[in-house]
Amino acid sequence: MSEVLLIDSVLLLLVAVTAIAVVEVRNLYAAAMLSGIYSLLMALVWVNMHSMDVAFTEAAVGGGISTILLIGTLVHTEREEARRPSRINWGALFVTAVTGAALVYGTLDMPRFGDPNAPIHKLRVPEMINQTVGMTSGASSKQPPPPGYQPRKNLELPLGHGQVFAMRRAQKANEARLDQQAAGHGGHGGVAATEHGETHEAGHDAAHAHPSDDFNGHVPNSVTSLLAAYRGYDTMFETAVIFSAGASLILLLRRRRRPGEKLPDQESANMADQVILRVMCKLFIPFILIFGLYVISHGEIGPGGGFQGGVILATAFILYALIFGRPELHRVVPERLTDVLAAVGVLLYSGVGVATMLLGGKFLDYAVLKPESPGEGGPLGMTLVEWGVGITVCTVMITIFNQLAEEESK
Amino acid sequence: MSEILEIYNYWIYIVLMMVGFYGVIAKRNLIKQAIALGLFQTAIFLFYISMAVVDGGTAPIWVAEGVTKIPDPLAFPPAYDNPLPHVLMLTAIVVGVSILAVALAIIINIRRAYGTIEYDEIAKIEREMEVREAQEAAQ
Repeated sequence: MSEVLLIDSVLLLLVAVTAIAVVEVRNLYAAAMLSGIYSLLMALVWVNMHSMDVAFTEAAVGGGISTILLIGTLVHTEREEARRPSRINWGALFVTAVTGAALVYGTLDMPRFGDPNAPIHKLRVPEMINQTVGMTSGASSKQPPPPGYQPRKNLELPLGHGQVFAMRRAQKANEARLDQQAAGHGGHGGVAATEHGETHEAGHDAAHAHPSDDFNGHVPNSVTSLLAAYRGYDTMFETAVIFSAGASLILLLRRRRRPGEKLPDQESANMADQVILRVMCKLFIPFILIFGLYVISHGEIGPGGGFQGGVILATAFILYALIFGRPELHRVVPERLTDVLAAVGVLLYSGVGVATMLLGGKFLDYAVLKPESPGEGGPLGMTLVEWGVGITVCTVMITIFNQLAEEESK
Repeated sequence: MSEILEIYNYWIYIVLMMVGFYGVIAKRNLIKQAIALGLFQTAIFLFYISMAVVDGGTAPIWVAEGVTKIPDPLAFPPAYDNPLPHVLMLTAIVVGVSILAVALAIIINIRRAYGTIEYDEIAKIEREMEVREAQEAAQ
């Protein structure tokens, strides 16, 4: 049994215990805190399963934002569940037991954990990988590769080193020639021909045969390239879903303020009097902001992207509001600004799509953004799109927090 | 033992999902139901992410700095975990928190209207209101 599996088993057991505690504890504050712990444990499980981007998001969203949202709601509602004569609902328990047993029976047919022969991995069709890696073959939009183009060979290319690739290809061509010559002549002549031919071929290929866009190695994080290119439309509408969530929060909870009316000072404002909280908060916020910006803008290179970075940025603002009070947050980020920016993010995303259409490509076909080297259009387009997502996610999270924390209208 | 470990992940996901399911159908408190819905959701995320794992695979980032040889994404057995479930779940998490936020907003409004967030009490108040309306209509 591998160590990874061992850690996994222990963590998953903890997760399951926490889940039961979340549902069974009567105090709702405790349930909110436990659900935060549950999310952090889950994020650890996902790091263990190599899913960095998801773990990032879950830690920021589950461990941070949703816990704060729950507590913000509890301030307006009740602290405890109502007491009931019997704690266990036997009917519900029976239904869940039967459903669970049916699902367990279903898992007996599932491929084992980590099985490379599982159907899901068989469906990793080469076309999908090629498309996400961004093979644009020098054309202004995605086209089938030229005859004789072998993706396997091309994918061995290190980042942006066209020459290394050319040399490798020349080497392979020479190996093939060597085989031919070995078949025809003696071994000695073949070796000399190889050495001569290699230098010649390498120079030739580097100059002509391999434009830098032949293999787009600039988007190494396949999660981001899948998110922004392969599933670009889905992601756009998911951003729109988040935007509409923010809009519905405003419609449901925002109350009209008379002009000049200020937000009432809340209890949280008193927290600024505590030196440790104030100093630590001011120390942390710049780092959280820089990390969030880094995560958004480096999404195509390493783990990260708009969703992850957006929530990290939002936590910085929410932390500020928690310590210094919401009136102070409004001074830094006015409500009007977050409202507008939430829409700007969605518009930036769809605007990139419209721009590619105006440039003669398909919707969200990033290659046309840089016609002279389409391979670089991908990273450019993805970065723009990720910024759109990041702006929307960040501002919508701030809006949601603002609305849930809003004082009840008396 | 090893057979159990091979599908252990799927069992845990079923346990989590059923805990969430139980919370949604058995609990009367609306906030508890919203949290339980979150548990249910996370169980599905776990299921997807577990399916993406490959023996000996690593995070699906094609190249790291300083690595000269990129493992071939098309090789078999795959050198990387499957990135597609990661993408699906990544967006689902953020959409999930939006759902939670809208649910909480509605719960706050329910509390303002009815003064409680226990749904059997809300149902009782609604029944009383219906009876009262019927009486008024009869008069």
